[in-house]
Amino acid sequence: MQRMAVRAVDSPVNMISKFSARLALAGWIAAVTCIGAAPALAQSEPFATQSTASAEEAPRFKRIPAPSLNFYGTSGLIDMPSAEMQPDGQWNTTVSWFAGQSRYNMTFQALPWLSATFRYNGIQTNGTPIDGFNTYYDRGFDVRARLWKEGRWRPAVTVGLQDFAGTGIYASEYIVATKGFDTPALTARGGPGRLKVTAGLGWGRLATHGAIGNIGGVRPGFVAGSSGGELSIDQWFRGDFAPFAGLEWQVDDRWGLKAEYSSDAYVTETGGPDVFERESSLNFGVEYEWTPRTRLGLYYLYGSEIGLSAQFQLNPKYSPTPMMVPAPIPVSPRSNWAPDPSDWSQDWARSEATVLKIRDQLAEALRQDGLILESLDINGTSAEIRFRNTRYRSYMLAVGRAARAASRTLPASVETFRLVPVRTGMGLSSTVLRRSDLEALEFAPDSTAAILAVTGFTDARPLSDQALQSGDLYPAFATSISPYSAPAYFDPDRPFRLDVGLDFAASYAPAPGWIFAGAIRQRLVGNVKDGRASNSALPHVRTDQVEYAQFGTTLENLYLARSWKPGENLYARATVGYFESMYGGLSSELLWKPVSSRLALGVEGNYVIQRDFDQRLGFRDYKTFTGHASAYYQLNNGFHAQVDVGRYLAGDYGATFSIDRVFANGWSVGGFFTKTDVSAEDFGEGSFDKGFRFRIPLDWMLGRPSRNAFGTTIRPVQRDGGQRVVVPGRLYGKIRDAHRASLEQQGATFWE
Amino acid sequence: MRLHLARLTALSVMILVGGCSRGPEKAPLEVEVAQAVGQKVAALRNRSEEVRPPPTRAQLDTVKSPYIEVTLERHDLLAYLRQEAVRRDGDPGQIVVWRTDDNVTLALRNGVLIATRGLGDDLLSASALVGNGASGPQRGGARSYHIRGLDNESRSLNLACDLQDLGAETIEIVALSYATRHLQQRCEGGEGAEAGVVVNDYWVDSVSGRLWQSRQWAGPTIGYLRIRQLTL
Repeated sequence: MQRMAVRAVDSPVNMISKFSARLALAGWIAAVTCIGAAPALAQSEPFATQSTASAEEAPRFKRIPAPSLNFYGTSGLIDMPSAEMQPDGQWNTTVSWFAGQSRYNMTFQALPWLSATFRYNGIQTNGTPIDGFNTYYDRGFDVRARLWKEGRWRPAVTVGLQDFAGTGIYASEYIVATKGFDTPALTARGGPGRLKVTAGLGWGRLATHGAIGNIGGVRPGFVAGSSGGELSIDQWFRGDFAPFAGLEWQVDDRWGLKAEYSSDAYVTETGGPDVFERESSLNFGVEYEWTPRTRLGLYYLYGSEIGLSAQFQLNPKYSPTPMMVPAPIPVSPRSNWAPDPSDWSQDWARSEATVLKIRDQLAEALRQDGLILESLDINGTSAEIRFRNTRYRSYMLAVGRAARAASRTLPASVETFRLVPVRTGMGLSSTVLRRSDLEALEFAPDSTAAILAVTGFTDARPLSDQALQSGDLYPAFATSISPYSAPAYFDPDRPFRLDVGLDFAASYAPAPGWIFAGAIRQRLVGNVKDGRASNSALPHVRTDQVEYAQFGTTLENLYLARSWKPGENLYARATVGYFESMYGGLSSELLWKPVSSRLALGVEGNYVIQRDFDQRLGFRDYKTFTGHASAYYQLNNGFHAQVDVGRYLAGDYGATFSIDRVFANGWSVGGFFTKTDVSAEDFGEGSFDKGFRFRIPLDWMLGRPSRNAFGTTIRPVQRDGGQRVVVPGRLYGKIRDAHRASLEQQGATFWE
Repeated sequence: MRLHLARLTALSVMILVGGCSRGPEKAPLEVEVAQAVGQKVAALRNRSEEVRPPPTRAQLDTVKSPYIEVTLERHDLLAYLRQEAVRRDGDPGQIVVWRTDDNVTLALRNGVLIATRGLGDDLLSASALVGNGASGPQRGGARSYHIRGLDNESRSLNLACDLQDLGAETIEIVALSYATRHLQQRCEGGEGAEAGVVVNDYWVDSVSGRLWQSRQWAGPTIGYLRIRQLTL
């Protein structure tokens, strides 16, 4: 613990935040022209008799140190795992290489005791090809669970399944224990070190060298080119088992030394393919922590090979720069400006001109905070404010800003605020506040808990006839030109292909809830078109990507959509047109989601026609009905589960199961799989559709408000079974973050 | 080959321009990234190293409104803040909100820092241990801080504070001397690895009870602030 504490002071992370603080504060210094703005350094001498207490002695929210990673991207030694877990939520990317074998790993610490890894690896052969490939590429998933934590005397113990659902070249299981000991500091500056001792038993690949026993007889070996995807449950912890062990000594807060005894004989690699010579079971390495997010390693493996690794460790809880939102204008309590009883009269409500003026003042106040007033429904004592939020990820922050804007523009007699964020014409939820509470609690000792305790969250009511719409909002026209990139993964000939170009998009909103939108895509460079042709036995509903990529100027989408609230807790959408590059047609959706409910239910039906490869206005012959009934459930700790049951694009019936962990700051990481009535043989490689997805918010990276995010969905194999059409504007994702659970999770941003 | 070159040119233009957007919809991700990069570059270019002299009392005398000077100790940065709002609520003490022109605010309750905004990892709220009379803390006791941190959380810190009067001190603020009493508030608390000590200093006018200067802690990321009253 102490080790990290010393580091945090001058870490590059702090340097970054320092840097951006300087940018933000540059304006600070030049601010007061009437005083003739002074420079930063001229006057900042400490007060003569001030205390010597420093910020380093004050309480601090310390960062939990992240254990180093092995060649498979999980906590561990060099080629062997350890029992350590990463800090909760950690998102690690690792690249490791030795003897022509490269592994690209992504690991997510989903729970404090559970992690999952996706791996893409390439093995360069010098002798006989593997499965016909001179460089054999493969993908795999690992999962690790900690049985118990490290105690004072007791080691941490973890069980792991490696490459448990792929074609299995790295398939193995292990149980491993790790215990750490503090070591004294070598130098005065470096801080104390830590020695970690690891020992374990491996099965499968991890029992190919030095086996000491056997459970359940012979275990089937690796067969290259099998379709994979099925869980190899009958193999787990079967066959020979062998011990492995190792030491990691973190000399100080930068350097680490590693040594291990490997129980992996590299049977396939050292045989016919002649990837390398395994001359020893001992591996050695040295690692350097360049920044708290980057570690580099150099190794000597198996008595013959040099190895390298680079480890990148992100944690959603520690953003590169803290979020800086321009400070709000404080609430102006009515006691300050409405002292007389006459100031509280409701006569103003009878004058239409006055009410219109109030609406415009409110719209201007909201605009200062980047919010757009949709409508104001006001009477003598209460006001319903509908607004659009295109700036803040947190709807609670937007609601807090809207409440303050209302408190400084509406007449004194208005006591109840109903704040309704609106998206594509639908009121998402209604936050009900008393203006007196807003005035009383802004500077309360625990203002966040205090305001949440007196705030109500309900369904947004239908828009009343008396509501004053914002004058100049509709019809609305928006355009954008932006670069795009479209990747294609995991072709054995070239694992990563990319198209980049420009999107020209425009939208026209004639009235609330209606949108007519389209985008034209111009590719500038790319090589997706050189990919593999489809070999699918099913209708080619997704595998003709290469055919579609032959065309550089395309109509990406063009559709008319309407969304509305047909009743209490109900949301609806209807869309007609060209939805995405491959499909067009008719789509409609209905969602039931009470504001305070963890459960949501939805149905969606689509009649779709496959588009021509040139992606202009024409269609191919393939038409189908695809639709699903969906259940969404918010579990604790930010976990969101979803089940969709229905008919997929290839006419197959089945269900998709997905789970995502969504952080309050907008990070999300999740995985999904789909089982349908398509057989594993018909499906092809991978046996069934599965993948993972992640989203990294732009505001998290930049430290300023935004609703955009980087993200992608990665499937180990793209096939035709279990595929769905992509329709713009699906409902659940649009409304969920303005509902109660999300608003309360974001509670701290109300006063921000 | 020429076609290829033309495409590469188009690509680099695209990366440089980054795109654009108009209208009431959210800007696309790529457009926003390009804007952010552009602003960072502009900010780097415009960083002036110009050192201007500190204000003199003669200059300050021409200023007719209240200003405070605040130094962020951790970054050795200094700013002048104007008074934005003055009010009371149900708790003792008068609240004053001070603002910079680039939208950072500090809220002080009888001179005791209770909130910051716009600095990042802000002090969301805090109790103050003040009375209705003289400025500065009036007694020892429990003090709670609520600080933004980690995953959009409000982290609470409960500290036990004692208050010490270090006696009379004469301080000088831009050529004016004030007879003050130096109050020192020492707070300890936090659990486990978060434990620590906070020491806040206050210099309160011996006669009027006005707070002339202070050094106060605003949370783990922001650190200590030095605050002086320049004009009234």
